[in-house]
Amino acid sequence: MGTDPDEDLVRRIGTGDPVAVRAMVARKLPRLLALATRMLGDPAEAEDVAQETFVRIWRHAAGWRRGQARFDSWIHRVALNLCYDRLRKRREWVTDDLPEQVDEAPLPDALPGDEENRVATALQRLAPRQREAIVLVYYQEMSNIEAAAVMQISVDALESLLARGRRSLQVMLTGDGSDD
Amino acid sequence: MSGKEPAMEAERFAALADAYGGQLQRWPLAERASAQRFAATAAGRAILRRAGMLDSMLDSYRIAAPGPVLHAAALRAAEINVVRQRRLRVWWLGLGLAGIGLAGVAAGLATVTIVTPEVQPEHYVLDANATAFGDVGPDADTAEEDI
Repeated sequence: MGTDPDEDLVRRIGTGDPVAVRAMVARKLPRLLALATRMLGDPAEAEDVAQETFVRIWRHAAGWRRGQARFDSWIHRVALNLCYDRLRKRREWVTDDLPEQVDEAPLPDALPGDEENRVATALQRLAPRQREAIVLVYYQEMSNIEAAAVMQISVDALESLLARGRRSLQVMLTGDGSDD
Repeated sequence: MSGKEPAMEAERFAALADAYGGQLQRWPLAERASAQRFAATAAGRAILRRAGMLDSMLDSYRIAAPGPVLHAAALRAAEINVVRQRRLRVWWLGLGLAGIGLAGVAAGLATVTIVTPEVQPEHYVLDANATAFGDVGPDADTAEEDI
């Protein structure tokens, strides 16, 4: 997996270096906010998740040791767990499980807002694991190996989630469900 | 990454485009070079064009940069953690000192116990079978009968 670009920064945070703290916020906050916003579809909740992830970062930085995962993968897993806690809370009065079925009905062309709004809506209609795979690989620009490690699945399983997710998005956004 | 990689089948190329989209830099590193060669074919270009249409839609979903309030909150959380860690250190130090104090008390008690001479009991407790006339236990009776 090579060297971890965050390792030195994490070590300095562990010693209480304020410059390192600011550098970490500048480096990771936009990334974590983007992840949580696309996972939850709610900017306010996403901000809470990003902030809570930083609380965990500061708490564990001094004791963080690189094992199998890179620091960036670890904070993604922390943020995703917080996102899933919130997704479960939203649905706990209906069902204990997060739905795997996707509502693939094409979205109306004239959805309020613009194409960005349509994509955000379509993404929220995906099964959470498909959404997670697409957000990690497409938006967070993780490699297939990194994303599979964060999701704790095989690369084959990741590819399957990505393909199913993209196919559903294609149907919702363009009305085109052809496989070729 | 050399030219020795086997040629990619159209089916695999399409499966990768379905999963990773139309930009080869998102594709698995191990298959990128052979995918690059297939991408130059007419079939490859058609597959990428189709995947690229969805990509351009996905690209339109942008997230605004974090605002100053959130930025400040993340930094404040770090300060709070420093204070918390400091308190925790003081607490552990206090606990350590208390432990040392208790160990001292225990050592003092042990010393007193060892150094102080053992006090002999004033009364000798007789055996249950002993009387003023000697031992009246079962063995003593048998001995008398034998005589």
